[in-house]
Amino acid sequence: MKKLQRPELLIRVMSIPVSRILFYGWCSLAYIFVLAPLVIVAGASLHRGSRYTVVQFPPTELSLYWYSQIPATHWEALSLSFGLALLSAALAYCIGIPAALGLVRSSIRGKSLLSAILRAPMQIPTIVTGLAFLQMYYLFGDLTGLYINGSFFGLLLAHLFVGIPYVIGTVVAVLQRFDNRLEEAALSLGASRWRTFYRVTLPVIMPGVYAGGLYAFMVSFGDVPISMLLSAPGFVTYPVELFYGLENDFNPAVLASSTLVIFLSLAVMLAMQKLIGLENLLRSDGNRG
Amino acid sequence: MKARWELILIPPLLLSFMLLAASQIIFLRSSFYRDLGYGSSGTEFEFVNYIKFFNDSFYLKVLWDTVSVSFLAMVFTLAFAFPIAYLIARMWSKWGMVLLAGIVVSTFIAIVIKVFGLFIMFSRNGFINQTLLSIGLIDKPFTIIGNEAGVVVGLMHFTLGFGVVLLFSVVQTIPRSLEEAAQIFGASRWRVWYRVIIPLCLPGVVAGSLMLFNMSMGAFTSAALLGDGRIYTLPVLIQRVVVMEAKYGMGGTLAAVLLVSVLLINLLSLYLLLGLRRRRLVIA
Repeated sequence: MKKLQRPELLIRVMSIPVSRILFYGWCSLAYIFVLAPLVIVAGASLHRGSRYTVVQFPPTELSLYWYSQIPATHWEALSLSFGLALLSAALAYCIGIPAALGLVRSSIRGKSLLSAILRAPMQIPTIVTGLAFLQMYYLFGDLTGLYINGSFFGLLLAHLFVGIPYVIGTVVAVLQRFDNRLEEAALSLGASRWRTFYRVTLPVIMPGVYAGGLYAFMVSFGDVPISMLLSAPGFVTYPVELFYGLENDFNPAVLASSTLVIFLSLAVMLAMQKLIGLENLLRSDGNRG
Repeated sequence: MKARWELILIPPLLLSFMLLAASQIIFLRSSFYRDLGYGSSGTEFEFVNYIKFFNDSFYLKVLWDTVSVSFLAMVFTLAFAFPIAYLIARMWSKWGMVLLAGIVVSTFIAIVIKVFGLFIMFSRNGFINQTLLSIGLIDKPFTIIGNEAGVVVGLMHFTLGFGVVLLFSVVQTIPRSLEEAAQIFGASRWRVWYRVIIPLCLPGVVAGSLMLFNMSMGAFTSAALLGDGRIYTLPVLIQRVVVMEAKYGMGGTLAAVLLVSVLLINLLSLYLLLGLRRRRLVIA
């Protein structure tokens, strides 16, 4: 390729329409807006700093000091969040996948009403869900003497409630595009119902399954309002721990543990890209709500 | 054999319906009892909390603030999300994937962490304030913590990723050939936007915006942290009334008002969408 002479280059730059420059400029601005907080958290976590100017971006004294200072409460909160998110996503599968299959394939009337009921938790503001579950647990406790607020099970039930609609949404989306002839072929060639499901249906709907699970996981992992109302002192999820940390006493080690979470999310996303491709992740999200 | 699919629908439906009905009925019921302090409530069924809500200028202002910050967040989110969605949808190279990945990652990262970044970014001696001060654009540091602008920025961070994902699927339904056709017949770039892209995307954008508006109305974390006890939205007030004041009746009333407004917006979006579909403005 011929190297451009300076005047030629100038002409070429000048000939880009203003509208295009504006468009790309605006998009870049939007990207900076979206990603800046994450870059800043990661960057500031590397700054050692003195006692008084602990948080600084860009970092001037590079060090991994704060990574060694992550308190035990953070690790506990992280493992609680992780276990909770994993289990609620797994249970959301057990309930969401059959529900999606039933919704798409059954021929009963009033399907849109059933679908609305199953997806309703997604429309309820999470703080309302938190309050409603708290009151429900109180009442249940008053009636049976068994109080589940502040317990793992109590948190799990509420997170599951919020997570199920995501699995239903994504799996319904892939099932609607599913070619039923594939199953008919398997059945007519002598495969059993279960074998057909495992070997034909499941592989085809897998992108929706992965996507739904990821949404359920992330919604649970990032939730503050529900977990805040349903957890007990000393038994909090990671986002709630961060929330209190930001409101009350600030410990810069928060930066370090947050950065670990950012990288974890990045890794999960790369894994998703390898497994199903990002477009599939988005496509199956088409009918949120 | 055919009944199988109905049968597997029953257990999930029972569970969802029971949890939904039980939790909603219990909290709605509690909103009709007077708060007696220390978490106890009256025994008489009355509308006292609702009357208080609609007669107290503080509560009405919170409702109005919630609507106005949500509306602003929705407008700015659209202004950012639509161009990005368009860019990614029309770009089928490796770079498109990278751009998409940036959005997806930010969507999946807990909002607390993003708010944390915002705190550092806009702190008094943070680099934005320092830069603006040094070039003389402002003469004293500004802050977004504890004012409406901050809450709007926080809500935008909560909704922007979803917005892009939502609008991305809208833009994808519009064949690129339509734009090319308009261009071949001599339409300028602006005219293509005005007469082709925007009209075709409009139904999806309207439905999507209402969804974003809803998300903002119900957003707790970003509004609580950036409002910093000075700006209240309904979700923040609910948490405060329940956790700090243990007023379950009033908390229930606020939650009911929030829930009903969100449901009304949903109905509105459904109605709009049906109307547009009837006029054959939507392809899907």
